[in-house]
Amino acid sequence: MNARGAVRVEFTPEQLAEVRRLQGLYPDRRAALLPVLQLAQEAFGHISLEAEEYVAGLFDLSPAHVHEVVTFYTLFFREPKGRHVISVCHNLTCHLLGAQQVLAHLKERLGVEVGGTTPDGRVTLLGVECLCACEMAPMLQVDDRYEGNLTREKVDWILEGLA
Amino acid sequence: MVRLTIDGKEIEVAEGTNIIEAARRLGIEVPHYCYHPGLSVAGQCRLCMVELGNNPRPQIGCNTQVAEGMVVRTDTPKVLEVRQSIMEFHLINHPLDCPVCDQAGECWLQIYYMKHGLYEPRMVDEKVHKPKAVPLGPHVMLDAERCILCSRCVRFCDEVTGTGELGIFDRGDRSEIGLFPGRELANPYSANVIDICPVGALTDRDFRFAVRVWYLDTAKSICPGCSRGCNIDVHYNIRRPHHNQGRRVARLKPRFNAEVNRWWICDAGRYGYRFVDDPSRLGAPARGRGDAAQEVGWEEIIPLVTAQLRRYRPDEIGVVASPKMANEDFFLLRRLVDHLGLIHVDFRVPPRTPGDEDRILIKADKNPNTRGAELIGLGPRPGGLDARGMLRAARDRRIKCLWVFHHDLQASAWPAAEVGDALRAVECFIYQGSNSNGVSAAAHYVLPSAAWVERDGTFTNFEGRVQRFWKAVEPLGLSLADWEILGRLGAALGLGPEPASAEACFKALAASAAPFAGLSYRELRDTGKVLSA
Repeated sequence: MNARGAVRVEFTPEQLAEVRRLQGLYPDRRAALLPVLQLAQEAFGHISLEAEEYVAGLFDLSPAHVHEVVTFYTLFFREPKGRHVISVCHNLTCHLLGAQQVLAHLKERLGVEVGGTTPDGRVTLLGVECLCACEMAPMLQVDDRYEGNLTREKVDWILEGLA
Repeated sequence: MVRLTIDGKEIEVAEGTNIIEAARRLGIEVPHYCYHPGLSVAGQCRLCMVELGNNPRPQIGCNTQVAEGMVVRTDTPKVLEVRQSIMEFHLINHPLDCPVCDQAGECWLQIYYMKHGLYEPRMVDEKVHKPKAVPLGPHVMLDAERCILCSRCVRFCDEVTGTGELGIFDRGDRSEIGLFPGRELANPYSANVIDICPVGALTDRDFRFAVRVWYLDTAKSICPGCSRGCNIDVHYNIRRPHHNQGRRVARLKPRFNAEVNRWWICDAGRYGYRFVDDPSRLGAPARGRGDAAQEVGWEEIIPLVTAQLRRYRPDEIGVVASPKMANEDFFLLRRLVDHLGLIHVDFRVPPRTPGDEDRILIKADKNPNTRGAELIGLGPRPGGLDARGMLRAARDRRIKCLWVFHHDLQASAWPAAEVGDALRAVECFIYQGSNSNGVSAAAHYVLPSAAWVERDGTFTNFEGRVQRFWKAVEPLGLSLADWEILGRLGAALGLGPEPASAEACFKALAASAAPFAGLSYRELRDTGKVLSA
């Protein structure tokens, strides 16, 4: 499962220093598990089982307890993800204003199902619940950016901008 | 101390006690799943809701400590209604597969539903499906659909064994108990999670589908697996003899003893009972070796063995007792040894591989009664040989009669050739034990012993705690408790009438051996007494 990413699961000395800084911020250093897992996701692309065990070692926790946290939060990717992540909101407002059509168009353009990644590793497509931007429904999040008032044309334009 | 009122009854309890425990003292049961007195408080199941004074909202009893003047109600309409709602929640995704569930009959979902069930289910959606019959390790089977996520098993692995194998993965109605992928639940205490699982989520792979629990009877006992002497219950099945391939002992369960094992036992002890109903049991006294061996009755074997014991000079006889025997047996053996004036007596035979030990319960000495053998004086005597010395003397034909109890000398630390030479050379080899083993076939006389669950008795554990075990099932075949065999031999040798019971032996022991002075079965009660010496 880890072979695909082929990223070495080990923090650099700078990243390790950051882990120690984060652990020092809280009376119980376990509280730093979430930010350290985010750091791991940035560093390794996704959180593999190997990464969970590695992080568990940094906290002296059992791997099962790190696995609890990683499986609880949807923003941790347990499989390699694309260079870009598109999350289409399909909660109430967006749904009423055409989220399903947006999703259908994206699935067709990218050739993947929800949860899938394009074979070239460019885009991972997700469906998510409310992203708190009903005023621009239907909307999606592409990486760290919100895009709203979506039409087919706007979706095509967004895709063209992704390397 | 803190005074409070629960359901109109006043009680005084120690500060820091929670409401569940305070109520228990009054005989009031507050229903709960996740709370366990041996684990930290999780507050997960929400079933232990009680009303406090004028507080408008019910509160969980497990995480509420008593306070002076507190007024608790566990029986109001509001509390009962809350329990019903919580039970409804717990059962939303439960498969209701009681007819094929091993937990049926000892399941707290069943028990509390009888009292607090809704009985008119409102659930119309399809239930969430989860993995079923997943082996977590050598002993534990998981059915994730039956799990109510109380987290007792997770806390046990975190807090008691410190191994942390289990976790609750995913979230919401998809949450499930599990192991880190690729790992297994194989710590030396793993099967305790089965005992503390209040539902049928974690069941015992050894016991699954063996016997329905309502056919089982219980006898209080002591685990014979090591010198800790964990308190246990023996669950045995004699009402449905055609179940479980005729094995009478169905399982062992820990029995609470605050000073010995608390709520737990190790897996080695839990599954160490198989020898009781094993085909290797010796069912009848026998005389003669190999092809000449023939089964005989007790009335025939007792005079034969006493004649042998009389035939040799006391210094030609060696006795190797076993630290698996009870105090009562040791007492009668000691009496017999003294009466015959024997000098070569021992009970220690080192195992081939040294026993494991940990800081929880497991002791390296895998015998339940080494301390008893020491205190009753079955160790080597001045001028006498120890067990290995006896084997060497047997090989050199200086010892002509060897009487070995229970030990498989071929499985000892001593070279097999040395044991074999000794047993071949000795003129008379008497083997007394419950099961055949590497040396029993070489015996001229076999005296079959009852297993510990087939008799009453006491063991003295490593710290000198004398603890009773009770008879669960009848001795197999013609076998007899060691004290009975020794009593019959003693009577035949002129030591007076046979003792009437194990209790009578213990009484005589208490009257003659200083460390046991003043003790009696009554005095020992269910949890034993530590010797003052």
